[in-house]
Amino acid sequence: MPPLGKMILRRVLWVFPVAFGVVTMTFFMARVLNGDPTELYSPPEATDELRAQIRARLGLADPLPIQFVHYLRDLLRFDLGISFTTQQSVASDLWDRLPATLELGLAGLLLGIVVGIPLGVVAAVHRERWPDFLVRGTTLSGMALPQFWVGLVLISIFFVDLQVLPGPVGRLPIGVAAPPRITGFLLVDTLLAGDFSLWWQAVRQLALPALTLGFSTAAPIARVTRSAMAEALQSDYVRTAIAMGHSKRVVWFRYSLRNALLPVVTLIGGIAGHIFAGAVLLESIFAWPGLGQYALQAIERSDFAALQGFVIYASLLYVLAFLAVDLLYMFIDPRVRAS
Amino acid sequence: MRDGEAVETVAPPLARGKPAARRRHRPRSYWTLRIGVAVLVFYALVAVLSVFWTPYDPLTPGIGDGYDAPSLAFPLGTDRLGADMLSRLMAGARYDLGIAAVAVAIALTVGTTIGVLSGYFGGTLDTVVMRGVEIFQAFPGLLFAMLVVQAVGAGLVNVILVLSFVGIPDYLRLARAEIQAKKSWQYAEAARLAGNLPWRVAFRHLLPNSIGPLLAFTSINAAFAALVTASLGFLGLGLGPNVPEWGNMIARGQDGIMTGQWWVSFFPGLAILGLTGALYLLGDALADLTDPRRRRQ
Repeated sequence: MPPLGKMILRRVLWVFPVAFGVVTMTFFMARVLNGDPTELYSPPEATDELRAQIRARLGLADPLPIQFVHYLRDLLRFDLGISFTTQQSVASDLWDRLPATLELGLAGLLLGIVVGIPLGVVAAVHRERWPDFLVRGTTLSGMALPQFWVGLVLISIFFVDLQVLPGPVGRLPIGVAAPPRITGFLLVDTLLAGDFSLWWQAVRQLALPALTLGFSTAAPIARVTRSAMAEALQSDYVRTAIAMGHSKRVVWFRYSLRNALLPVVTLIGGIAGHIFAGAVLLESIFAWPGLGQYALQAIERSDFAALQGFVIYASLLYVLAFLAVDLLYMFIDPRVRAS
Repeated sequence: MRDGEAVETVAPPLARGKPAARRRHRPRSYWTLRIGVAVLVFYALVAVLSVFWTPYDPLTPGIGDGYDAPSLAFPLGTDRLGADMLSRLMAGARYDLGIAAVAVAIALTVGTTIGVLSGYFGGTLDTVVMRGVEIFQAFPGLLFAMLVVQAVGAGLVNVILVLSFVGIPDYLRLARAEIQAKKSWQYAEAARLAGNLPWRVAFRHLLPNSIGPLLAFTSINAAFAALVTASLGFLGLGLGPNVPEWGNMIARGQDGIMTGQWWVSFFPGLAILGLTGALYLLGDALADLTDPRRRRQ
């Protein structure tokens, strides 16, 4: 039985071979599948000579294995290359766009947790009665509806019909200057700049995409909470707690919910891994200048470096999210430590 | 506490709740199963019907004026180009239902086969397969699909192949876990002792006993496949621009939403909701029925 420290070390070290695999796969997928972007960057009247120059400038003149070695070498120096489209380093592009995705992702995730877990508890406690059916119906549609459609419907209701929220034009209304970047989170930076009206404008811009994301995040969280909680409520220790005369509140929250949270934590980890990689469709609907949009552009324009940079970021995030979940498990679940 | 009545008053919710829940539970599973199957059959019938008859031709623009609101002549309105929404929606069932069904069938077959082999024989094969799966699953799924479709080009066959490829690892893992758990059970041992070859034990004795969880997952995975199909269509990466696939149709209605013509995007979304919702219901019901642990609750 390996001690906890060794287990953690082994789990952490396992990230490296997976990361290498992802990097390799990304490289070859981007090259082999996405063809030759030289055409996209050459004027139609270009001579063969000019094309060759452009190829060389794009770093495509070398044979593939050499390109791969160069790529790995740069990667070790945290150099993700230059994006063909923005003409800037991919790392700085990603860094510029990261806060937009994080802000939206955090808002959506928070909404999902704050709404999802109580809904799941209510459904489990009132199992097979109308609150349960209501929650299950809502969460079913939350999972079954395409996120982009939900976003469009919310725009149609709140922007077009009711006109209470602003349209899908990004993080701030058109023509409004952003505050100086300190954290990159507009909701924080505007406050640091002391501009409350700007803060309110940013909140209003964030409302609809965050609501959309929250809806589709709350649904699976509520479902998993419900089934884990229902199982906990049927357990022997809950029966004992009830028999000992604990109040309903203590039984529900201190005994059942605590035990039911394990699978919920796993789920939230997975969801976070996805969300912070940038919701491609959501961002494109709301013109949200985040990583998802960047990835979409990179695919449409065969921008290798940008695409690789994004995929590496996204998959590492995913791997790290699961690492975090696994480590968290070792701390909160004594059984994992024992086995 | 030896008094029976005292116990009854201390813990009434469990004492009364549990058998009642058990009595009610199985019929509920059946009615979610029924609804799921009924809706899917309805969609399949619409898909078949649309081959022979739709109110108007789904591919012809200019039947209405463009952006006609829902009316008697056009129950669901017309889109920007004046094509009838109801006809397009009906024809769309062919694409969305068909793509999901075929992609999932391929993924189920290939994933399960590899998973059974990997789980039953273990060893190097298993290690290699599982490492590959882990790396592949770290790659964002929708992005993978987008990338491949963008590279190899839009088209029905390409979309189906990509979707099935994305689905394979999940089936593989599930089948592998099932077989691994069961291969040392007594009936597996008995089958081996009776002289069955390993592949026969794996595929004829063990696999049929794991079919329940696999089918439940298939149903839920089909919903996911339908959502990805719609997402690809919405991004314009799926099929051709005029193909009445529901995600495509939502994209075509996107401009109309800003000017108040909500119906062009709204109804295809409802169509997707019906399909994926039915698949989720069916998947849940199948999981309830085939998992004894969930059935007991």
